[in-house]
Amino acid sequence: MTRKIVKSKYHFEPDLIETIGEVSIEEIKPWGSNDELKIIGKPTSRIDGAVKVSGEAVYTSDVILPNMVYAKILRSPHPNAQIKNIDTSEAEQLEGVLYILTYKNAPEIGWYYNTSYLFDKQVRYQGDEVACVAAESEKIAEDALHLIKVEYENLPFVTDAVEALKDNSPKVHEWGNLPRGNPDKYKRGDVEKGLKEADLVIEDTFTTQVVVHNTTEPHCSVAKWEGSKLTVWDSTQAIFNVRDSIAASLQIPASSVRVIKKYMGGGFGSKLEAGKYSVIAALISRKIKRPVKIVLDRREENLAVGNRPNSIQTLKAGVKKDGTLTALSHHSIGSIGAYPDGAGCSWPLRTIYKCENVSTEEYSVFTNTGKSRAYRAPGHVQGTFGLESLIDIAAEKIGMDPLEFRLKNYTDKDQVYNIPYTSKKLKDAYEKGANAIGWHRRNKVPGSSNGILKRGIGMATQIWWGGGGPPAYATLKLNRDGSVNVMAGTQDLGTGTYTFIAQVASEVLQLPIEKISITIGDTETCPYCGASGGSTTAASVAPAVRDAAEQMKAKLISGAAAILETSEEKLIYAEGIISVKNDPSKKITIHEIISKMRERVLVTTGARSANPEGYMINTFGAQFAEVEVDTFTGKVRVIKIVAAHDIGRVLNPKTLENQFHGGIIQGLGYALMEERKVDSNTGKVLTANLYSYLIPTIMDTPEIEVIIVSEGDSMISSVGAKGVGEPAIIPTAAAIAHAVYNAIGVRIKSLPITPDKVLNALTLIKR
Amino acid sequence: MKNFEYLQPKSIAEAAGYLKAGNGTSIPYSGGTDALVMMKDNLISPKKVVNLKSIPGLNSIDYIRGEGLKIGALVTISDLAEHPVVKDKFKILSEAAESIASPQLRNVGTVGGNLCQRPRCAYFREDFDCLRKGGNACYAFDGENKLHCIIGGSLCYIVHPSDLATALLVLNTKISIASGEKINEIPIADFFVLPDEDFTRENILQSGEIVTSIFIPDLPEGTKSSYIKFRERAVWDFAVVSVGAVIQTSGSEIVSGRIAFGGVAPIPWTESVVNSKLINRTIDAHIADEIAESILSNADSLEMNGYKIPLAKNLTKRILTQLLM
Repeated sequence: MTRKIVKSKYHFEPDLIETIGEVSIEEIKPWGSNDELKIIGKPTSRIDGAVKVSGEAVYTSDVILPNMVYAKILRSPHPNAQIKNIDTSEAEQLEGVLYILTYKNAPEIGWYYNTSYLFDKQVRYQGDEVACVAAESEKIAEDALHLIKVEYENLPFVTDAVEALKDNSPKVHEWGNLPRGNPDKYKRGDVEKGLKEADLVIEDTFTTQVVVHNTTEPHCSVAKWEGSKLTVWDSTQAIFNVRDSIAASLQIPASSVRVIKKYMGGGFGSKLEAGKYSVIAALISRKIKRPVKIVLDRREENLAVGNRPNSIQTLKAGVKKDGTLTALSHHSIGSIGAYPDGAGCSWPLRTIYKCENVSTEEYSVFTNTGKSRAYRAPGHVQGTFGLESLIDIAAEKIGMDPLEFRLKNYTDKDQVYNIPYTSKKLKDAYEKGANAIGWHRRNKVPGSSNGILKRGIGMATQIWWGGGGPPAYATLKLNRDGSVNVMAGTQDLGTGTYTFIAQVASEVLQLPIEKISITIGDTETCPYCGASGGSTTAASVAPAVRDAAEQMKAKLISGAAAILETSEEKLIYAEGIISVKNDPSKKITIHEIISKMRERVLVTTGARSANPEGYMINTFGAQFAEVEVDTFTGKVRVIKIVAAHDIGRVLNPKTLENQFHGGIIQGLGYALMEERKVDSNTGKVLTANLYSYLIPTIMDTPEIEVIIVSEGDSMISSVGAKGVGEPAIIPTAAAIAHAVYNAIGVRIKSLPITPDKVLNALTLIKR
Repeated sequence: MKNFEYLQPKSIAEAAGYLKAGNGTSIPYSGGTDALVMMKDNLISPKKVVNLKSIPGLNSIDYIRGEGLKIGALVTISDLAEHPVVKDKFKILSEAAESIASPQLRNVGTVGGNLCQRPRCAYFREDFDCLRKGGNACYAFDGENKLHCIIGGSLCYIVHPSDLATALLVLNTKISIASGEKINEIPIADFFVLPDEDFTRENILQSGEIVTSIFIPDLPEGTKSSYIKFRERAVWDFAVVSVGAVIQTSGSEIVSGRIAFGGVAPIPWTESVVNSKLINRTIDAHIADEIAESILSNADSLEMNGYKIPLAKNLTKRILTQLLM
């Protein structure tokens, strides 16, 4: 098969990335519907399921190496302070303490786009790194932290994004509280003109809270040197990012760094960036010549490794009586914490509905709080709540069914780039989702049902990218016994990557899945794949695996032709046996071919094909929620969520459902209970544990019905899969919020919809 | 967490001796579901941890008809919740016990420990030099006070976190406290301490004193009871507001009744003016509304917790309707 370096584009979260990458250009015929396939699209148990449930699977946080030591990080207790001095002498005296790293002895390594250092004298949020102690045990390291004397000069601080925008606000960085000095703006058409054409102008403000990823497995790293070579076991969504970041920080060749991530207990975006802890572990390990392990605790998880920014969104819509949207505008403010990130959330408004006149203005604002990071559909989760709430209000104001209103403003093309979608089955999602929830059962007049327990139904739309793209490679090794190793430098976040790779290889080579062994998450043995984020993993990697497997099949056919002295066209491949079409007696096995070739292992490397020019690849969907609100207590109980989505081809219905369940439960937590609270008087977090930061339990979890309305999108790749991870969470909170409105007739415009807010709102309408 | 000495006394007197000798640096340890968290968060750093579970005889539930129910301080929450007599006769108590935390925590948490647990106020638990920890300010007063008290607060605005305490208050429970050689039995209402008496403690226990058991007088025939705990999460959460009620009826008459509230005050809260309305009262259609309207008349909410007043009233309506209608 031939390959070529070409230009291609893909979306990684909101970023349109133009790549020049090596792709497979040999046309592989896209698969037809899943009915024609044997393994793909069939419920397949995780190939790593048994080792996980038995406890045999070694996660990063489980790694124990001979002679290993433990390190703990001292973090700033203050939201904004200058370190005047650090005295580590007493801590160094503690028996078992091996090394202490502070700004005094650490190399000057730039961090957060060089707005800070690995260890900075200026700390800008409660949780900022101050020192790190390595010791013989985790306990000793922690005891030593209490013996370090830090002299801080406290400085004025700001925790609120709106306050931080004011001229007289304390500055998180001396150059200001906006990372680029200006808001991010987008405009098409003329909003003022659009508003004039409208019969009705609707304006409203919606707010969302800061939420924390709180992954099951904490952020952690184990670093070990052998001569000049460094191996790092890291709980990461992006092994190559971590490798390059460590190599650059330590000023050593990337080839000297090997990053391994075998299993992971969740990332949700918080593990896309290389962590300070990884570099710190590597630095200390080099110094003391012993392996170093750093595992963050739950408190650190809640303070220092990311969150979804809050949002204050003011939206405006111009609407005609027939439902036509004439203008949409969006103004948002969000806190990104102390270091550069983005809090924009206007993409759903720019893209979901047909509208010629659109403007957005996004303020991503520094505050003296923990830095935000990508969190499962960054921006879209907040933005969908704002936009879809406004759309719901608009539909009601003109007396139109909310679903009909959405259909009225349906678009078949991407309006930002003015190009068509490769596929869009949103109409089917609306229809099937509405049927499944019983859309007709909703209250025609919101809040009109009698009784103390009031039920309601609501829905919201989802858009996201998730088409994936190059570069992504997979190397396939076929052994004489017909067993297969596949290597790809991607990572499994717990989402099922191992399993779909095995399924693809199994499907193409028609070999049992038990004979296929997968190695991923290793920068040294695997060819490059991108970070596992943006819902791109399956969409990018599966076609590369298919390419490698198709090449292997071609290689076997070619080998068989040479051995059987016939032409390749006359041969057919079935379950590892190649036979002559009209003479089934003439056949040859994999074992025979590889033996004759005097090889033990046949190797191919496949690549992801380029994305089609002139098309936009998006995922779409709609979620429908039925809730019951206890008007005595304000408590919202979600009865059922229907998730109807277009995500291209389903590779594995089992892991797909898992992904939807996870996303929807996380979305429910966002809608109803999760919130990082900061005390504005002191700048300190009040919820840095799992008893005050509430995450839904199984008792809070409703019935979830997942409906997939799409099949393989043959324009994207030979596999035709789009991503699932982020679409799952995007519309959940908005759908629940609208169902609450439908139940009680009063709209809660601020997430999370906690009982106090509902009760206060109900008390107000009673008066 | 600092290193500590772990002691395994065989008698109450031995345990009390260790605790007294520690002079505030030793702590009693029963289930550990709170003590361990406090230690790990460095809120307390005891030199000695005195394990009460090594003392025999403190973990039984004994019922004598006509007299009452004696519950050892080391009875686990799950054993209490599942005890057949408790389920049958003291429903309020089994419901309160069942509503606590999660199955894992109930399996190790004990009755005595539950009554003596420390508050969950974030300012107390987190890195704040608050009044209750010997500091000089209550940070909740003008801070995040959605979950704080609406009555009984002054200087400090915690709510008492124990569900059992609220249920036991309704049941006129007596608490046995080993103090030196003696065992004193006091009404549970006298056990808890409001901040205006002493804002550094939640109960009257002095160093060296140990809760050994509780005694609940038997309930007369015709008595019904219930506990409703309202929380933001379906399970594994503290009460936002809870209400417990015991009502004895005869035909269409209430003979007597008591109601108490959790999550509203720094101690489990009951009001005699309300309870007196439940003596010799005919059950009619308005009773639930009328009683509910009469509760917490002196409540004075903070900026974010005003909703607790209608919430407590609604829960009162609900529990009375459930018990009477």
